[in-house]
Amino acid sequence: MNSVRRFLNNSDINRFRFYFQLFAFALLIYGGYLAINIGDQLPTFACVFNDKRGGSCYLLGFQHQMTFPYARLFSGAGIGVLTGLFTFVIYFVFFNKAWCGFACPLGAMQDWLTILRRKMGIYYSTYTEPAFKGLSTIKYVLLALLILIPMGIGNSFFGLPTLNHDFAVPFCMICPGRTLLPLFSGDFSQLAIDFSSKTKMVFSGLGMAITGMFLAGAFVKKRFFCLFCPMSALHYIFSRASLLRLSKDGDKCTRCGNCYRVCDVGIRAIADDLDHKNIVKDDCMMCLKCVSACPEDGCLKASFLGLPVYESTAEGFFRRRLQKDD
Amino acid sequence: MIESERRARVKKSTSLHLAMEAAETLRQITEFPDNPESMAYFYDLYQSRFKDGMILPQNGGKLVGTMCLQVPDELIVAAGAVPVRLCSGAYAFDQAGGDFMPAKSCPLVRATMGMMQVNNDTLKENLATVVIPTTCDQKRSSAEMLKSMDYPVTVLEMPATKESEEARTYWQESVKQFALSIQKICGRKITVKGLNAAVRSRLEAGQLYRSLQQLRGEANPVILGKDLWLVANSYFFDDPDQWCRAVRKLIAELEKRKSENFSAINLKAPRLLFTGSPPIFPNLKVPILVEQSGGVVVADETCSSERLLHDAVAFDEKNLNDMVPAIADRYLKPCTCPCLTPNTDRAKKILDLVRLNRVEGVVYQAFSGCLPYEMEQRVIGDMLSREGIPMLFVETDYSPEDQGQLSTRVEAFIESIKVRKRKQQ
Repeated sequence: MNSVRRFLNNSDINRFRFYFQLFAFALLIYGGYLAINIGDQLPTFACVFNDKRGGSCYLLGFQHQMTFPYARLFSGAGIGVLTGLFTFVIYFVFFNKAWCGFACPLGAMQDWLTILRRKMGIYYSTYTEPAFKGLSTIKYVLLALLILIPMGIGNSFFGLPTLNHDFAVPFCMICPGRTLLPLFSGDFSQLAIDFSSKTKMVFSGLGMAITGMFLAGAFVKKRFFCLFCPMSALHYIFSRASLLRLSKDGDKCTRCGNCYRVCDVGIRAIADDLDHKNIVKDDCMMCLKCVSACPEDGCLKASFLGLPVYESTAEGFFRRRLQKDD
Repeated sequence: MIESERRARVKKSTSLHLAMEAAETLRQITEFPDNPESMAYFYDLYQSRFKDGMILPQNGGKLVGTMCLQVPDELIVAAGAVPVRLCSGAYAFDQAGGDFMPAKSCPLVRATMGMMQVNNDTLKENLATVVIPTTCDQKRSSAEMLKSMDYPVTVLEMPATKESEEARTYWQESVKQFALSIQKICGRKITVKGLNAAVRSRLEAGQLYRSLQQLRGEANPVILGKDLWLVANSYFFDDPDQWCRAVRKLIAELEKRKSENFSAINLKAPRLLFTGSPPIFPNLKVPILVEQSGGVVVADETCSSERLLHDAVAFDEKNLNDMVPAIADRYLKPCTCPCLTPNTDRAKKILDLVRLNRVEGVVYQAFSGCLPYEMEQRVIGDMLSREGIPMLFVETDYSPEDQGQLSTRVEAFIESIKVRKRKQQ
């Protein structure tokens, strides 16, 4: 058991993650060819607009369900909404935010853009701390909007007229997953502005603009889009209940900041928070790069059901650092 | 003419005193029974380096003097120069410094300045620049003094706190400017390849130091603290590759000792942690005294050993824009120097070392004149008493005069821990 643990702790999680992301990408984008469908309430961007997908993102169904009038939402149909949410939570609870770091196809694409940038020798951009704090609230606003806008279709707020059905899946309309992921199975139809109605025109225009920003942003800033992702906000609500945890022993931390330096999303608390054991923040994607960059024995630890899966050790740190010479 | 003759005389007598001092410290160190055979490398190293009054490395290349461990060695190495830490522990130099330094200044700074003054001619010839980070007041002010002695000085601006993100970015910028100026001074551009090699070399040294530390923190320590200080201290001026080779050999011998269940000291010896103002060869007065009196130093939190070698650089992308700030981070973020405010990390670090190495008492050395350490003594003492760990606070300097008084106090402290242990059993 100890030798297995030692092997894991000495391993290079980044390489594993790279291959796992490839596998997950293939599964979620092309699973349909092999008649694979791992679920319709996935807590990750397995885009529904891609016909060959091997599973579906929860957000599309969720937005649809939010269009129900109150009467329907609080009747028997509400059970369907709850089971949907429940299924989503079950999926999520197993892997926590590792869904973002290991499975999300949009996340993988951003990481590939990062690799491309690095190979070209271009330096990444970062946000200043106040900018980071301000921007990271946007995902909650998006989450609120993707619930409230569809609700405005089935119900009237404050006696205002209800919205038309073109508003049904507002987030999908602006999500770069919708425009980009179908491309991988040869479907270019989403990469366009839809002029069939004013609403659709505005939304799909926004979607195209955001797609452009996604590509440009992810090229210069690591995991650019994740800071704004409403899925990440939804994750965070259930994160505490998860079986997979990332914890920190503040007593062992020297605050050397290695974890903060390698963090793709720039979470400062990982280095400076000494009080909280559960160190998963809302922007975290559980890529575990921090664990692999920590030179203190047992300071950072990923555990599943209390069983340590990947733990920071001095031995593993030096092995990775001194072996790595790409 | 008379002045230059006087100088030559002072230089000669100082180096004579230094050689005697070094020989005396080495005598005390080697007098202990069961010294590891591989320590011979280090004993010889000090013997040869101190016998003619100089400690400069002899392995060629431009030398860059550093006055603190806050100076990123990696950048100097990558710029093709050899870093040498000038902080001196010699009483001979301390006395020489006494001629022109305030009576109440810190002996470490006084000795370093004394050395720079006495060996002005040789050092100036050899040092491409002297790098002084703006850490404590006395180090800061020595920059101006060195300039007046005609040394080329590079001031490395360092914030007085490390808590805020602003302090971190300020320091990163400061280190970046330092990288730019050091490559100009040394005449070689810092490249990714060169910097990576320098980082790796530092990492190897850090890894070896950690293994050594682990070995002395064993339930039966296989090496004594006094030897570990010699090893860590020699990183100030020794060639890193030779140093690593010698330490690897030492570790192999100690591992063998461990497998044979050998212990370098009586198992009942109180296990102590040493912290405070840094013991630097030949001033290993207090650590040696502690181990002569029957204690064993199983861990330390000083800038001449643990803090010098423990922390490790990690960068994310192999390009200068990420590597240089990563190196900057390593020299500020985990630093527990009391010139930083707040310095809660130091108490935390001490506590962690206490737990990790099953420490039974702490020896806190403060050089008289080193106000930051003298003042922080209270906070650390209170923290330790809450944890039930006794602490001995010693205020001392480089002179051998307080030896008698010190040994009485140290012996009493060690005896009290022994009594406590017996009662607990």
